[in-house]
Amino acid sequence: MIRRWLNQRQNMSRVCKPSNTTVTTTVLAFLVASSPHLLAMPVWMAMTILATGSWRIAAAWLDWRPLHWSIRIVLTFAALGAIIMTYGALWGRRAATAMLCLMIAAKLMEMFQTRDARQVAALAFFLVAAQFLFGQQLSLLPYLLIACWLATSAMYRVQRDEDQPVVDQNRSQAIDPQIRRNWLRELRSGLLLTALAIPFALVLFALFPRLASPLWGLPENALDGRTGLSEEMSPGSIANLYADDSPAFRVQFDGMRPSQEELYWRGPVLTSFNGTTWSQSSFANNPPERTPSVENTPWRYTVQLEPNERRWLFTLDYPVRWSEEARLRSDFQLLRKRPVTRLISYEVESQPNFIDSPNLSPTLQQFAMRLPDGQNPRTLARAAEFRQQYADNGELINAVLRWFNEDEFFYSLETTPLGWHGADEFLFDLKTGYCEYYASAFAILMRAAGIPARIVTGYQGGFWQQSSEYLLIRQSDAHAWVEVWLPETGWTRIDPTAAVSPLRIRENARSALNEPLTWLDAAWVNRLRNEYDRLQHYWNQWVLGFNSDRQQQFLARIGLDRLSGPMMALLLVMMALITIVPIAFLLRGLGQQRLRLSEPERYWRRLVGRLKRYRLKPESGETSLEFAQRAAIELDNGDELIQAARLFYQLHYAAAAPNQADLLQKLKESAKNWGPIMNSGTKATLQA
Amino acid sequence: MPEAASSTLDESRNWLRQKFDGWLKRRGPTYPPLVLHYRQIFILPTRFGWMLGLIAFAMLMGSLNFNNNLGLFTTFIVAGIALLSMHIAYRNLEGLSIRSCSAEPVFAGGDLRLLIQITDNANRLRSGIRISASNRNLYNGTQDVSDVEPDQDATLTLSIPTTQRGWLSVKRLKLSTRHPLGLFEAWSLFWPERSFLVWPQPADQAPPLPASARLRESPMPGDEGDEFHGLRNWREGDPIHRIAWKASQRHQDLLARQFSRPQQDEIMLSLAQAPGLNREQQISIVTRWLMDIDREGASYGLDLGHDTIAPGSGDKHRIRCLNALAELP
Repeated sequence: MIRRWLNQRQNMSRVCKPSNTTVTTTVLAFLVASSPHLLAMPVWMAMTILATGSWRIAAAWLDWRPLHWSIRIVLTFAALGAIIMTYGALWGRRAATAMLCLMIAAKLMEMFQTRDARQVAALAFFLVAAQFLFGQQLSLLPYLLIACWLATSAMYRVQRDEDQPVVDQNRSQAIDPQIRRNWLRELRSGLLLTALAIPFALVLFALFPRLASPLWGLPENALDGRTGLSEEMSPGSIANLYADDSPAFRVQFDGMRPSQEELYWRGPVLTSFNGTTWSQSSFANNPPERTPSVENTPWRYTVQLEPNERRWLFTLDYPVRWSEEARLRSDFQLLRKRPVTRLISYEVESQPNFIDSPNLSPTLQQFAMRLPDGQNPRTLARAAEFRQQYADNGELINAVLRWFNEDEFFYSLETTPLGWHGADEFLFDLKTGYCEYYASAFAILMRAAGIPARIVTGYQGGFWQQSSEYLLIRQSDAHAWVEVWLPETGWTRIDPTAAVSPLRIRENARSALNEPLTWLDAAWVNRLRNEYDRLQHYWNQWVLGFNSDRQQQFLARIGLDRLSGPMMALLLVMMALITIVPIAFLLRGLGQQRLRLSEPERYWRRLVGRLKRYRLKPESGETSLEFAQRAAIELDNGDELIQAARLFYQLHYAAAAPNQADLLQKLKESAKNWGPIMNSGTKATLQA
Repeated sequence: MPEAASSTLDESRNWLRQKFDGWLKRRGPTYPPLVLHYRQIFILPTRFGWMLGLIAFAMLMGSLNFNNNLGLFTTFIVAGIALLSMHIAYRNLEGLSIRSCSAEPVFAGGDLRLLIQITDNANRLRSGIRISASNRNLYNGTQDVSDVEPDQDATLTLSIPTTQRGWLSVKRLKLSTRHPLGLFEAWSLFWPERSFLVWPQPADQAPPLPASARLRESPMPGDEGDEFHGLRNWREGDPIHRIAWKASQRHQDLLARQFSRPQQDEIMLSLAQAPGLNREQQISIVTRWLMDIDREGASYGLDLGHDTIAPGSGDKHRIRCLNALAELP
C-alpha cells in the first residue's frame, strides 16, 4: 500500500525543469511583489534577496549547478539568525514578512522544478496582500497590478513548460527569437487574465460582506514608527515635521467653512512642564464640567484621518458631537479607545462660541502656573517687569505679543538646541525659532506673570483643494499655540507665532518661511502634488474607507440592503458569473495569435494537415491544386483530394457562385471524412 | 485475515469502478469518434489549485479581519484569475473531438504505440491537451501532450506496454488539460473504440527448425508442365496419358509418370514441431522460426490444426500468419 502510494507520488512529481523564461518571469514576479518589503528591510538583507534572485536568473541562462544542499541549509539558518538579530524575534509583521521573503529567496536557490516555480508565483500574491498591512496608499495600486500580472504570467509560463512534449524539455535553450516572441505573448496572456479578473474583483469588492469588528486583535506598531504629532513637546519636535509633506488628515465641510485664521485643529493639550518638555497632565482625564450647547453649531465637517497610531482625534474648538466612539477630556481633547491604525473617517460638529471653564478651581489654576525652580531667571524678571507695568491681564498679554512683533524675532526653522535656561536663550539671545519655541516661551512668561497657561499642539490651517471642496492638512502644518486662562473668557487661545509671522497663520508654514525646501518646491510641483492628493482623497473615501457601514449605505442606495445572507450569496455568485462569463468568451485561443482564415481555407488546411504524417507537405511556390496532384500519386484515394482542391479553388478564388453553400458543404464534408489512404508502394518506402 | 480484507476491499473497489463506468457511459458517448460536451467534461482543482486556494483564504481572512481593503482587492483578483482559469480549462476541452484510436500491431513485450487523433472543429486553439491512462499508474504512466491548432488535427501517442499475445483492450483513457494556469484540471474519460492485436513474442533462442518442416523432402505433386520427378505404380484415377508405357513394359504393373513443381525451399510450420514446456512457449518458438524464415525470403505456411495457411511469402502473408498465431486460443 505504502509502496504503491510512493510510486504514485513519484509518478505525479515527474521532474520537469522550468525553462529559462519561466525562471526569469517567476523571479521577477517575486522581486516585484517583495519590493516594498525590501525597502523596509535593512539594506544588507534586501541586497541578499536581490542577489539570490539575480543568481537564480543567471543560473538558468548560464546553466549553473544549484548550490550544494549543505551550503543552502547554512545560508537559510544564517538568514533566520539574522532576522532574530534584527527584529528581536520571528514574530511581528515586519519580521514575519522579512522571513517569508528570505524563505522564498532560499527556495530560489533550489528552484529547479516547475512545481517550485509555481509555489513562488503563488506566494507572490501573498506578499502583495501582506504589503497592504503596512500601508494602502494610492501609489501602491500600480504595484498591486504589476505584481499580480507578473505572478499570473509566471503561472501561465510554468503551465506552458509542463505542456511541452517531454523531448524538448532537456534541450538547452539559446535566446532564440521564437522563445522571446512566445515569452512576450505569454506575458500578454498574463496581463489579459489579470485585467479581466478586475471587473470580477470589483463586484466582489462591493458586495462581499465585511466584518464589523475584527476576529482577532489588531497589531501594534503597524506603521513602522511613522512620525506625526507626539504626546510631548520639546524644542524641535514640531520643526521636525516641517519636512514631512505626507497628509495628516482631510476635512470636508458641510455648510459653512471657517476662515483660515480659525482653523486650529486641536490635538494634545500639554499642561505639565519640567523645564524642557511639555507633557499632558492627568488632571484633564475627566470629562469637562461644562460643554458647549448643541444648538446652532456652525461647523459640521467630516475628517478623514490617516493612521497615526495615536488615539486623539483632531477637531476644531469646541467639539460638540462626533460620530466616532471617543471620549472628551476636560481639556477638550477627543480621545479614541484604540489607536488609529488604519484610515478612519468621523463626523464632528464644533461650536466656537463657548467659554471653556469660566470657573477654574484654584488647584488647577496653581497647576497651570507651575514653573520649575531656578530656570530662566531673565524670563522671570521680564515677566515681573510686564506685571508691574500692566495690572490687567489682557493688556499684559497684548504687551508681550507686541514685544514679539516689534522686536527682532524671527520665525525660522534654523534652530539651535536650547540649554538649561531655554526660554532665556530664546527670548534674549537667539530670537529665532519655530512655533514651539514661541509657544513655550510665551507660556513660561504667562505663568511667571501669574496667568495660568498651557500649550495646545495640533495643526493649523490646511490647503483648500480648488475644485473638490476639501481641506488637506499635511504633517508640515503641525503647530503649537498657547491657551491662557482669564476669569472673563476662560481658557483663551493666544497664538504667539501669529504675532511674529502672521503669514504662518494666514497661509501656511511654507510661505511664512520664505525659503524653498528643495528645488522640488516649485509651484508646478506643488500643484501636481495637490492634484495627486485629490486622487488620494477619493481613493481613501471610496476604496480604503469602504467598510461595513459604507457597504450598507451603498447597498441601500441600490436597493439591496434588505437581502438575507443566502440571497446575498446568490447575488454575489450571479454577479460574479455575469461579469466573468462574457469576458471568458472573449478569450478564445488565449494568448496565441491566430491566423484569420476563411472557412474554405480552414477546411483545406485541415485536409493538408492530415498528409503531414506521411511527409507530404506543400512546397513553397506550389499551388494547392499542384500539391493535390502530387500527393494523389502516392494515394489510393487521391481523386477526392484533387476534387477538394478544385472546390477550394472555386470557393476561395472564384467569384461567388450561386451554389456556393453547396460547394462549401461538400468541402466541409470531405474535410471531415477524408483521410489519406496510402498506396502500397508508398507504405513500403515509409516503413523502410 | 489481511488477505481476506484486501480482497473485500478490491471487490468493493471493482464494484465501485463498474458503477462509475456504467454511470459514465450513460452520460454520453465514450468511444471515438466523439465530441466532448459538458456532460463528458469534469473539472476539479489540482493540488496547486488547492494550494493557491489556501493562500487566498489566508489572504481573505487577514484582509477581512484588518478591514484591509486593498488586501481584499488582491484576494478577489486572485479569485477572479482562478475562476477565469477554470472556465478556460473547460473551454479548452469543450467541442474537441476525438476522431479515432489506432495502432500498428506489435510483438508482445514491446510497446503498443496507440495513436489518438483529435480535431478541433470550433476554430479555437487548444493548448496543452494531454492524454494518459485514466489510472495514472497504469501503463508506466505513459502520457503525451500537444497543442491543437484551430480547425486542425493533432495526434497524441501513448506507449502501452504489452505482455501477452492476443487482443489487447486498452483501459479507460483520459484526455485532460491544465491550461492556462495549472490551477484546474479539466478531463474527459473514454475507451478506444476497438481492441488491438498483439503478436506473440518471438522466442529469444529457438531450436533449429526440424527437418520434417521442410517440404522439399516430399515435394508437391505437379502436372505435366512441371518438372519430371519419377515413376510410381499406377493407381486407379490417374489419367491414362500419364502411364509410362515404355517403362511399364519392363514391370509387372503399370507405371505412371510423376511430376513435381520447380519450387524454392518451402516450409510448413506447426506447433507440434516446436519443443516447449507449454503452448505459449511453442507459439513463441514458432514465431521466431517464422520471422527467421521470412527474413531469408523463403516461403512458408502454417498448420494450426484447425486451420491451415498455405505457404506463401511477403508482408501481407507474414501479417496474416502472425495474426493467426496471435489469435490462437
